[in-house]
Amino acid sequence: MLAKLARPAPATTPFVEVRYSKLLDQPIVVKGQLEYHEDGALVRAVNEPFRERTEIKGETVSIERVGKSPRRFSLKRAPQLRSMLAGFGAVLGGTRARLEQDFNLALKGDPAHWQLAMTPKLPSVGKYVRDISIQGRENEPQCVIVTQPDDEASVMLVGKAASASLPQPLTRQGLDRVCAAES
Amino acid sequence: MTRAARGGLLIAWIAAITLLGYYVQQALTISGDLRLFLPSPQTPTEKLLLEEVGESPASRLLLISLDGATPEVLAEGSQQLAAALRGDPLFGLVSNGAASVDDIPDALLPYRYLLAPTLDHQTFDAAYLRGELSERLQDLSSPAGAALESLVPRDPTLEVLKLAEAWQPAKQPQRQYDVWFDSKGQSAILVAATKAAAFDPDGQEKASDALQKHFRETRGDPHVRMTVSGAGAFSVLMKGRTQAEATLIGTIDSIGLIVLLFIAYRSVLTVVLGALPLASAGIAGLAAVSAVFGSVHGITLAFGFTLIGVAQDYPIHLFSHQHPGKTALQTARVVWPTLAIGVVSTCIAYLAFLRSGVTGLAQLACFTIVGLAVAGVTTRYVLPRVMPEKTRDPGESAWLGRLWSSIARLPRPRWLGAAVVLVCVGILTLGSTPMWQNDLGQLTPIPQPLLDTDARLRQELGAADVRRLLVVEGMTADDVLASLESLQPQLDALVQRRAIESYDYAARYLPSTARQAQRQQALPDAAMLRATISQATAGLPFKANLFEPFISDVAKAKTLPPLTPQALAGTPLELQVGALLLHHGDRWTGLVTMGGVHDVAALDRLANEHTKAMSSRPTTASNGPSPTDAAATLTVLDLKQASEALVARQRTHILWSLAIAAVLLVTTIWVALRSPKRMLRVIAPMALTTLIILATLHGAGVSLNLFHLIALVLAAGLGVDYALFFEAVEDDPAEQRRTLHAVLVCSLSTLLVFAALAVSTLPVLRAIGVTVTLGIVSNFVLALLLTRRAPEASHARP
Repeated sequence: MLAKLARPAPATTPFVEVRYSKLLDQPIVVKGQLEYHEDGALVRAVNEPFRERTEIKGETVSIERVGKSPRRFSLKRAPQLRSMLAGFGAVLGGTRARLEQDFNLALKGDPAHWQLAMTPKLPSVGKYVRDISIQGRENEPQCVIVTQPDDEASVMLVGKAASASLPQPLTRQGLDRVCAAES
Repeated sequence: MTRAARGGLLIAWIAAITLLGYYVQQALTISGDLRLFLPSPQTPTEKLLLEEVGESPASRLLLISLDGATPEVLAEGSQQLAAALRGDPLFGLVSNGAASVDDIPDALLPYRYLLAPTLDHQTFDAAYLRGELSERLQDLSSPAGAALESLVPRDPTLEVLKLAEAWQPAKQPQRQYDVWFDSKGQSAILVAATKAAAFDPDGQEKASDALQKHFRETRGDPHVRMTVSGAGAFSVLMKGRTQAEATLIGTIDSIGLIVLLFIAYRSVLTVVLGALPLASAGIAGLAAVSAVFGSVHGITLAFGFTLIGVAQDYPIHLFSHQHPGKTALQTARVVWPTLAIGVVSTCIAYLAFLRSGVTGLAQLACFTIVGLAVAGVTTRYVLPRVMPEKTRDPGESAWLGRLWSSIARLPRPRWLGAAVVLVCVGILTLGSTPMWQNDLGQLTPIPQPLLDTDARLRQELGAADVRRLLVVEGMTADDVLASLESLQPQLDALVQRRAIESYDYAARYLPSTARQAQRQQALPDAAMLRATISQATAGLPFKANLFEPFISDVAKAKTLPPLTPQALAGTPLELQVGALLLHHGDRWTGLVTMGGVHDVAALDRLANEHTKAMSSRPTTASNGPSPTDAAATLTVLDLKQASEALVARQRTHILWSLAIAAVLLVTTIWVALRSPKRMLRVIAPMALTTLIILATLHGAGVSLNLFHLIALVLAAGLGVDYALFFEAVEDDPAEQRRTLHAVLVCSLSTLLVFAALAVSTLPVLRAIGVTVTLGIVSNFVLALLLTRRAPEASHARP
């Protein structure tokens, strides 16, 4: 399954991420693109509503924001970023070995409409991520849903789904329908 | 005495030594406090140095560098090691560059708005809060920001992070993977403050062992290497080296001594018995010091055992003079008058040290006087009663006889004394070497590569200079904190002009109550803050009432009593502030440590201006005291210069003591020998030897230190003993050979011990070794040439 998803580098895909939080009335919506570079670097570049670039290369994470000096740190210091890596692995490939090392994988559904469930093996990751669910059709992933232990989640629409119009109001149910919809 | 009675007495003697040894071990504490060995302070600077400052807080810092792997592995190692050290009670503030919200203890959390400098240049207005809250939204949307989520309702401006950053050193190395690296990016660097002071070698050793243990447990990658530098690390290293070398030399000496004594007396029992008076002396000396002073300084111990080494000669005189036909007791009676003059004159000489005003020297005198007296008395009264009756007689040795006759043919050049004096005085006055070595650090010099590493790390970390401090004194902690704060503009100006590279003081961690109150004033009240927040969050998706925890924390901070030094107990700040803000009696002292001092004159100017400004300020009672008025003085303290001045003054004390000791020695010998002429013959070799040693050292470019002086005293004591025995020798050829045998064994055994020290690589041991070795050779030769009686002049002794 993962082999089928893997793309040769370089690969990019647009994304829209809807982040729910118990601190917020309304989820935050950010838009940008995911990039898988030839040198193995994975980039999450946010363009809207602000600019931010997060890059994971090997064990190194760097985060750049406008008007701030870039921060670099080791992936080991930021277990919460494993979910980002996992999402990448499913969407663009390039991290398969690490994916299987960090998460238990379970595949449901049929090739036309599948769902990959991932649960973290490491307690340090489990502190921030309860599970990750990736939904897709054929060899096209459409949604990456990262659920936190407190039930709050972020829903990332990728590929063609990223250009789908978002439901109003922006409820989880509405988003789940977008994820499940034929595109 | 019967064999059984001898055996019984021997056992009783050894039992007494053991018992006394047990008492000493129970009662005596060994102190490492250098102040015991320094004179009582007189000038204000000395008082500051000895009573209040003691040493620079910077000397407690261990500078740690990790290398040998990729930056990522090293950074992880740095984080793990820092976490382990933070959990260890032997260490205070540990910095590796990673500012973390976990650095702030819960007890201080409500104080964050009073401790962080944010409110000095910022108010919690709508624009500011909106900026901060927008940033938090970005944080929340980022996968990396999940960790902050729980913090946002209580601390939306991330004040704890700002505080953690404010506590980082002023000048910081570059960061990689969130932790400090050197400028080449090859080694991760950390700083850890030890709870133990740098002059506390035991505490430093414990900290060093703990650090090594944490490193082994957290290194992960076996290629990672750790380098530790700093005053504490050096003291542990040098203590280890000195001990290792002293132990090695001690072992070689002991074996050599046993072999030598065995060759001289061909009896194992004699060798064993010969050690007993010295053992008794050491234990009795320690017991006396323990009873009188309670604790003994480590240096007293080392010097003391060097000085009572002369007691090893006492049994040798007895053994060499013993011969068939005379019992050991009879021999002891014959040897005693000469021996006793040596013992008594040396003891009386040491009386001078008792009144030197320096506790360490008084201890030394007590130890030596008791030790030598016990060695003399046991040699006279106990040793003869446990010695086997029949021994070989050195008086029948043919080669000793031939040696004595050839010595007898030697000239007795009276002019030699005058010539020696002339040459030595010439060398001493013409030589260009400084006479005295005042730098205590030179006694145990740290190898250059280590100093280079230390300088490099200090430069990279911007770590404070251990030599110079600014000292602010005041009546209360708050006075001191306030005047430190008032110095900030001038200190910043110094950094601007690169006179210094960085500075640190207690007010950076604990602001004065005035400044805390000022920040409290700047905090909005709950109603106002609530209104501002609703204005700032307009259009942002935060839940209503989300920031109530923030509002209540601010309200709490507004009414908190200001934080005082006492309230810091148990937090990591306790040590940091405690090292920079000292309490002594009814005075408080604040220290400003500085990194990279380039312009010392600028510091002096700052202190002068400050003092002038303070004295010209009108202090009328009606004005009431304002925080800055109460500030007393600002002083530049040069720890190196101040301690060197102390050492110089201490030496003056010792030299006076020595001068008095010399007069006492001469008088005692004069009285004992009842003839100025005989007294002169005994004193001459010792006096000339002292001059020869001084001239030789000076000529060889060696500056004298305390250890040379102590060794000179030992050499003089040995010289007096040799001369006394040569002077007392009779016309009986057998007796002459016995005396020659005794003095030969004495000088050879002592020579063996100190020659081994003389080739040591450590200046402390070498100073003692070279001095005493020179002394033995010179004393022996001069005693032969100058003290020996002319054959025709010798007659029955008075």
